[in-house]
Amino acid sequence: MKNRIATILILVLIAALLLSACGSSKPTSSGPVEITFMMWGAPEEQTVWQAVVDDFQAANPNIKVNVEVSDWDSYWTKLNTLFAGGTPPDVFAMDAPLYLDWQSRGALLNLQPYIDANPGFLDGFYPQTLMAYKLDDGYYGLPRDFQTITLFYNKDMFDAAGMAYPTADWTYDDLLSASKQLTLDKDNDGKTDQYGLWTDTWDMELFWSELIWANGGEIISPDHTKTLIAEGGARDAWTYIDTLYKEGIMPTPATAGEYGGDLFQSGQAAMTTIGHWAVPGYVASNINFGVAPMPKGPKGAATSVNSAGFVISKDSKNHDAAFAFIKFALSEAGQKRLAELGFAIPVLKSVAESDAYLKQPGDLDQQVFLDSLAFAHMKPVFKGYEEWAGVVGDGLIPVWDGEADLNTALDAVVPSADEILANNK
Amino acid sequence: MEYGLKPLGREKLWLWLMLVPTIIGLLFGTIGSLLATLTLSFFDWDLIGSPTWAGISNYDALFKNESYMEAFSNTLKFSAMYVPGVVIISLLLAVLLNRKIRGVGIFRTIYFLPTVTSAVATALVWNMIYGRDTGILNFMLESVGMSPICWLCTNNAMLSVVIVNVWGAIGEGMIIFLAGLTAIPRDYYKAAELDGASGFQQFLRVTIPLVTPSIFFQTLIAAINAFQAYDYIYMLTRRSGGDSSVPVAVFSIYRNAFHFFRMGDASAQAIQLAVLVALFMGVMFWWERRYVVYE
Repeated sequence: MKNRIATILILVLIAALLLSACGSSKPTSSGPVEITFMMWGAPEEQTVWQAVVDDFQAANPNIKVNVEVSDWDSYWTKLNTLFAGGTPPDVFAMDAPLYLDWQSRGALLNLQPYIDANPGFLDGFYPQTLMAYKLDDGYYGLPRDFQTITLFYNKDMFDAAGMAYPTADWTYDDLLSASKQLTLDKDNDGKTDQYGLWTDTWDMELFWSELIWANGGEIISPDHTKTLIAEGGARDAWTYIDTLYKEGIMPTPATAGEYGGDLFQSGQAAMTTIGHWAVPGYVASNINFGVAPMPKGPKGAATSVNSAGFVISKDSKNHDAAFAFIKFALSEAGQKRLAELGFAIPVLKSVAESDAYLKQPGDLDQQVFLDSLAFAHMKPVFKGYEEWAGVVGDGLIPVWDGEADLNTALDAVVPSADEILANNK
Repeated sequence: MEYGLKPLGREKLWLWLMLVPTIIGLLFGTIGSLLATLTLSFFDWDLIGSPTWAGISNYDALFKNESYMEAFSNTLKFSAMYVPGVVIISLLLAVLLNRKIRGVGIFRTIYFLPTVTSAVATALVWNMIYGRDTGILNFMLESVGMSPICWLCTNNAMLSVVIVNVWGAIGEGMIIFLAGLTAIPRDYYKAAELDGASGFQQFLRVTIPLVTPSIFFQTLIAAINAFQAYDYIYMLTRRSGGDSSVPVAVFSIYRNAFHFFRMGDASAQAIQLAVLVALFMGVMFWWERRYVVYE
């Protein structure tokens, strides 16, 4: 009996020790305010962001910013875990398509009062980039940079074939015929050594949304209740993609996976459609490339614009300091630093149209990315985006891999996608 | 039946003291999270707001959730192929390698290697084997005049993934069976031989009954691994959006919890999986009492 009491005492003691260790909160100092900024990105992005933070801290000595960078996949898991644990970061990066998922959960601070307190703050922004974040009662996030999708081409491969580079007048028919000509089996072993085109058809951003818009189709109804990817012009867009795969002009997802995904970067595809974020990688891989606007379809030119942004946690204890940091990063000084990074395009018109962005190292025509805004559609932002994109992307992969019929698959995908929209009302 | 000495007096105190770390781990880590999962399965929670009572609606939704039912049936299909595959192949392997032949140590090491190699590395190698254009397997098929197969496309992915998982698990199974085989007294085989039993008959009448404890144990381990299998599967079948072409139940639980913000649904799925594993264990233990021979 005595022993049992001793045992219980020891257990209680150890449990108490453990609990007190867990419960000890951060010391509340009266010194500088500390905020955390979390983002996804490559290691080189951390360097540039650290530079932005250093500039900011120099101007605001009473605020200390901790930058935490993770890769895309672990970023979201980490963020969710921090939120579930009640210790969210003060400022974090947001991908526009996922914005509503977070906003609707009440995770984000309404920035409108701060914006109202800084008249003219949003005047210098490209309006297309602000659209994604604007809600009825204000902005719960602000864009920090944006991406338009353009056509990248490998100059060496065009030169070798004696073909003219793509121009702003190209149509999707031109793209198809040029891709055909540039698909080569150099050693005649029955296997393609150079593909005319490689792009990702799983998510809408790189290719299929642009193609649907250029064919006069739509992706989702304005009230986010109906998936429109199988109606009218949209179906023609899918037939076009089906042709690219069936004719062997574009490697199937299974084949592309074997070559590590980006066949343009590995020098095995003559063209691709992608955003500015790919530029540093292509430069590093010594690809001799140029860019042209997306081709025109039967209903004119179209491309997609998407943005990454900043949001502030509603539960952050330092809203003022957090906004001060965002404000700085979105100022000309902050945006110029970001332009140096070479991954994305600044949201401030004055910076994007200045030498900081336009005169980056190399001879790439940066203007193409800016001019594309004129015919860009916003990448749709709606609740349940990730799940919806999965159903559509997964549902069509068997078609691209040659295991299923396009129309059958489309007809099966749409109701499942609509069900997800209904569940995310 | 009791084994060993009973701890007395002060010894008991020390015994408990030593056990405390493990007990705390069990209480908070295992039992705690189990209870938390069970509780959460009756709530709707998006990880940010406060959980709201949902009754049994999450369980009700399980069977209407197309993607979960697909993932769940994938897990069942996977287990149905994986468990017998691992048990039978590793038993045969152990019997083959339980002889005094030259270089037996080398073979045992080779078969055990996958167990100690990182899953990421092996998945990469298997990707090269399974590749449609550049894969070794298709190269072999084509060199004998057959047409190439897309091993990791939607239609064949399940089988391809089972093969890799079985290959990765037979090393460990082999070790367990080898231990079981070594424990069988040689006398039994001598006696059987005197009675004129052939090698195959010896295997069937002596080896099999006497390794039933190992078979039981290995089946249990394989089944638990099958229900939790994730790493090889995901790395061989992942798609650009973080999706998988062979989504399994564990994958669905993770996606629902941390990507779609549906903790309640994810918890209900986890509980359902746990109940299934528990039922299977129940059947296994009944089988153990009935058929397993302990010496």
